[in-house]
Amino acid sequence: MDVTQPIRFPVTQKAVSLDIKGNKTEIVISKYDDRFLVIVTQIGCMGTILHARKEESVSTDPTYNVSVVFGKRDEPWLLACGRQLIEHISCSDSSRHLVLSLGLKDHSPGTLKDIALAVINNRLW
Amino acid sequence: MASEELDRNFSQLKVTKDSSDCNGNNSILEQETVNSDVQITCFTEDLHDVTFHFQIIRLAKQIYVWIGCKTAKFGHLYAAAITRPNNTVAVTSILGGTSDNTGSGIARRLVLKTGLNIIVACNIPKDSPMLEATAERKLIEKLRSLGYTRQA
Repeated sequence: MDVTQPIRFPVTQKAVSLDIKGNKTEIVISKYDDRFLVIVTQIGCMGTILHARKEESVSTDPTYNVSVVFGKRDEPWLLACGRQLIEHISCSDSSRHLVLSLGLKDHSPGTLKDIALAVINNRLW
Repeated sequence: MASEELDRNFSQLKVTKDSSDCNGNNSILEQETVNSDVQITCFTEDLHDVTFHFQIIRLAKQIYVWIGCKTAKFGHLYAAAITRPNNTVAVTSILGGTSDNTGSGIARRLVLKTGLNIIVACNIPKDSPMLEATAERKLIEKLRSLGYTRQA
């Protein structure tokens, strides 16, 4: 006689821990109704936060808008990583925006490529 | 016979001391994912007939909190931290929330209670101070039980 049904938590999430170029990296991906949140941290905090979205118009191909909303604004590879992920999300037929936080020890292109790959391998879209 | 089945079922019935199961008003589902550096706690509560969802991600030097009011929309994002040299708290809106600031007060008070940098995402509708206060109270209670708050 089960009276109360437990409510399933509405946010799907996934947490993984891996090594990227010698640095221990924690990745947490959460799927909300209207956003994806990806937290990538090597330094114990969220670091730089980016917002990436697709802008679709009727006549032209979709364009993507990636901007840093909090933190380092002079690291272009962070934006490149955000751009790669939002395009991947968009190709998987999702129009959700992406909030990406990168708290990294090094901002080299190799690290960011590995991070993008790791997020894509553990994606929720 | 039906009475035999009833006897059997009663003998298998477990009596629980957990008040959350006994109280019909709260349906709480808790998930905890624990890793040495990242701890995720999620739970849902019905407070004053409104369903709140809470997601707390504790990183080594920061806590991220999402508060969902009825829906699982992300809402507005705020960051708050202690500023030097005085121990005051600075709050800023990162995404959305420029005109209604629901959630910025929560972020500020969480920093005061925990002493850590805080990022809050919250979709509580604006002009609902009661909902905001209720959610905040529950959240602080949970943070205290998890040991994330510092001693006053």
